[in-house]
Amino acid sequence: MRPGFSPRGDRGGRGGGRGRGGFGDRGGFGGRGGFRGGRGGFRSPDGGGFRGRGGGGRGTPRGRGGRGGGRGGFGGGKKVLIEPHRHEGVFICRGKEDALVTKNMVVGESVYGEKRISVEEGETKIEYRAWNPFRSKLAAAILGGVDQIHIKPGTKVMYLGAASGTTVSHVSDIVGPEGLVYAVEFSHRSGRDLLNVAKKRTNIIPIIEDARHPHKYRMLVGMVDVIFADVAQPDQTRIVALNAHNFLKNGGHFVISIKANCIDSTAAPEAVFASEVKKMSVENMKPQEQLTLEPYERDHAVVVGIYRPPPKQKK
Amino acid sequence: MSSFRKALKSRQKNHHERSQPGFRKHLGLLEKKKDYKLRADDYHKKQNTIAALRKKALEKNPDEFYHKMINSQLQDGVHVMKKQDEEVEVTEEQKKVMRTQDIKYVEMKRVAEAKKIERLKGELHLLDADSKPKNNHTFFVDSKKEVRSFDLASHLNTAPELVDRVYNRPTLQTLETKRVQGIKPGIMKKLAKQRNHQYKILSQRIDREKKMFVISQKIQTRKDLQDKTKKVKVKKETPNAAAIYKFETKRKR
Repeated sequence: MRPGFSPRGDRGGRGGGRGRGGFGDRGGFGGRGGFRGGRGGFRSPDGGGFRGRGGGGRGTPRGRGGRGGGRGGFGGGKKVLIEPHRHEGVFICRGKEDALVTKNMVVGESVYGEKRISVEEGETKIEYRAWNPFRSKLAAAILGGVDQIHIKPGTKVMYLGAASGTTVSHVSDIVGPEGLVYAVEFSHRSGRDLLNVAKKRTNIIPIIEDARHPHKYRMLVGMVDVIFADVAQPDQTRIVALNAHNFLKNGGHFVISIKANCIDSTAAPEAVFASEVKKMSVENMKPQEQLTLEPYERDHAVVVGIYRPPPKQKK
Repeated sequence: MSSFRKALKSRQKNHHERSQPGFRKHLGLLEKKKDYKLRADDYHKKQNTIAALRKKALEKNPDEFYHKMINSQLQDGVHVMKKQDEEVEVTEEQKKVMRTQDIKYVEMKRVAEAKKIERLKGELHLLDADSKPKNNHTFFVDSKKEVRSFDLASHLNTAPELVDRVYNRPTLQTLETKRVQGIKPGIMKKLAKQRNHQYKILSQRIDREKKMFVISQKIQTRKDLQDKTKKVKVKKETPNAAAIYKFETKRKR
């Protein structure tokens, strides 16, 4: 139906040249096809810190960003259909657009320039925010049909690798005012954006610290129900396990997004996922399902599981 | 005396070039030596050529092989070289842009396109695109028995008819308690049409952006080639990719 769709990082190809190029200080073509094989080479990459994310793309919170600033959404309730999703707090919006949305906790405010959709139900007006699966692994997993994300209204979530807080803002939408999101991010640069997001949303607790050393923020964090991790580090599973041992309740859940390239760029992605799953079982984390993120990301998988499951009742 | 000579000079007659006499007017302009020389040289050159060709033809070995025997063919009675079926490196469309636009302009247009794509992708999430690449969903269960008795619908706690609707498989509780909002009957078909149109626009934009990316790379490669440092061609140019060269590294001081 639509050809050309491929996840980010389509053209890592070039870049064998010599990093000279007519773009002056912008890095030229040599900057293409770097670590992420991404297209972000246009602004200078910010070095990424914890997650190694490149520059462009993952937006900074810039109010309403870009164009389309005037109207709040598209034409009100009559032109869209909001369908409740399998996962509580998440919705599907179908109209002229075809979008995964969450209910906006801070009405009238976009976090990273995403589209807002307001729907009138009788008297009340509810605003939703589009959640881009091309940017968020969690959104991609939800649209890929994951069974459980274990994030629902009222849960306490620890989010490792929060970056600029784009996905975090949606998680905070889902857990609502009763829930809590501990957003851990190592990089100061994206941490700054995260702080700005947390200013508006009271259920986010930003932690600018290395997730490898949970003892550094143990005073801030209580027991959590779910750990979500998107850290893209070779020792990702160990990082999650460390945090789980410290903060995750028994029988709590973890959701880990794995980028095969970051763990082992030479092995086949399936093999990488399998080895990661194996590592988890050693750490008392029992995987329950695994899902690749195909149309949205390439060679990524999300593993959902339970930590220290309660012993089985014998019949 | 000298002044007298000067005075004489002033009375001197101007000598004119001889022209064709009136009664020979019908023969055209009078030919001068330099005209004759041109004509004669040309004539002799032609004569010499003819003589050389004649000699060559006489001395030709009928058994000798020439490559043109197999590389050429007759077309309307004229020998023409057969076309080599070499693949095109630059399409006509690319040539046109590359000749008329400079790289900054192409890049600017490409970036604008990329931004628009980003924005469209933000609201079009390929919910039920039919040709999208399929993902793998693995469930881990404890025993072989569970594998045998595995039923997706009951495992997901959803209605069996919703199992294929990957983007949203509401649980049975959700189906009972929640309801769809903001609906206005009769408008759905129109919305679906608009949505399809949006997807079409998106795919066109993606296509266009890809093309412009190729063009800008090709222009850049040509620019880079003007550099005098040693380089080796690693990969040939194709319509979809610029050529790749490896440049000799040189330490800059």
